[in-house]
Amino acid sequence: MPQAPAAPEPPAASQLPPLSRRGLERLDLLLLSAEALDLNGGEAMVWMSEQLGFTGLFANRVELWKRRCHNPLRRATRRGDLSPAETDALIRILSALADRLYPLLRALLSSAEPEPVRLQRWQLFEGRLAELVRERMNPRRVGVQTLLDPQRGERQRRQLIRALAYGAGNGGYERLRASLHDPVV
Amino acid sequence: MTLSPVKQTLRYDQVSCRLQVEGLPDVSIGQGGEALGIITGWSLRWSGRPELEGRKDHLLALMAVVLPYARHLISGVARPFGGPDSPVTIAPREQGGHNLELRSSQPDVAPLTVELDDAELADLVRVLDQLRLDPRLQVKLELPEPQPLHPREVLERVPLRRRLVAPVGGALAVAVAAALGLLLPEPRPLPPSPEAPLSPEAVQQRGEP
Repeated sequence: MPQAPAAPEPPAASQLPPLSRRGLERLDLLLLSAEALDLNGGEAMVWMSEQLGFTGLFANRVELWKRRCHNPLRRATRRGDLSPAETDALIRILSALADRLYPLLRALLSSAEPEPVRLQRWQLFEGRLAELVRERMNPRRVGVQTLLDPQRGERQRRQLIRALAYGAGNGGYERLRASLHDPVV
Repeated sequence: MTLSPVKQTLRYDQVSCRLQVEGLPDVSIGQGGEALGIITGWSLRWSGRPELEGRKDHLLALMAVVLPYARHLISGVARPFGGPDSPVTIAPREQGGHNLELRSSQPDVAPLTVELDDAELADLVRVLDQLRLDPRLQVKLELPEPQPLHPREVLERVPLRRRLVAPVGGALAVAVAAALGLLLPEPRPLPPSPEAPLSPEAVQQRGEP
């Protein structure tokens, strides 16, 4: 069982506006990438939510899943915005998961790793991510098709891993949060 | 008898680097115990690379460029941080990875460039995060809070050629459609049919009531 992270301060009233649909899409894809890196990622997410004290916001795994379904790329997408407290809690969970998965993220990004080993790691991650994307996302959406494309989606998949590595831990939370609030142009 | 404050050392380890910060508690404002209120020096050890050392200003300069750089990388924007006057600059490398350049305050000392891959940069970001969030460090760091990007920065993330494809393609399509339209012959006016009802003007011309 992984070690419980240090309890962060409760999610503060956000000064930023609610997360845009594009932000929700990126947040869910980052959570999905964390799941792809960890075979037990779904359970880890629920466990992390409890450890961080978010049971008031996400009483159970269904509630957590319902919030993630605000991603417009989902097969069964939900309309409306999430409250800033809910998005902040999801970003906290994501940062804590990334912190826990940091050795794996680092191994994917390191150029010091032997090339065959690195390629194999990427294939494992990409295979698992593709499986999860096909299972949960709407295949008619261009964004989903691009992510699944071996060539066109490569840059985006690498960007997801980079974002997790630089957004890991309590320090990474603020960076991730700011990035997810980037304007949509 | 007065007791001199005990020297404190904070150490943060990652796979590729180790950051060590030395200092003293600031007893003038009542700090004691494990607190570090005055930074006297720091060192950053890289595996297989020269060790970096410096004063508090250099450490702050390092944090001031590396942390916003990582923030921008999360959004997919790789742009240099730190100007020519800054003791530290960081910029993306064309062939992938990052160049961290450190300029010494000593004259006649050439700048030192450290090439980092994504994993090494992530290690550096983590040790800097560990330091700034360490409750034992009681120094005001005055680092700006990460902010969402400006719309212009988000736009510039997309290469210029790709940004221009849609407007240029649209303008071309309009121009081609207009040119084709001009090539079509103007339809000739139809001769009035004898059975067609006459317009009031035509009736007036004929002199009929």
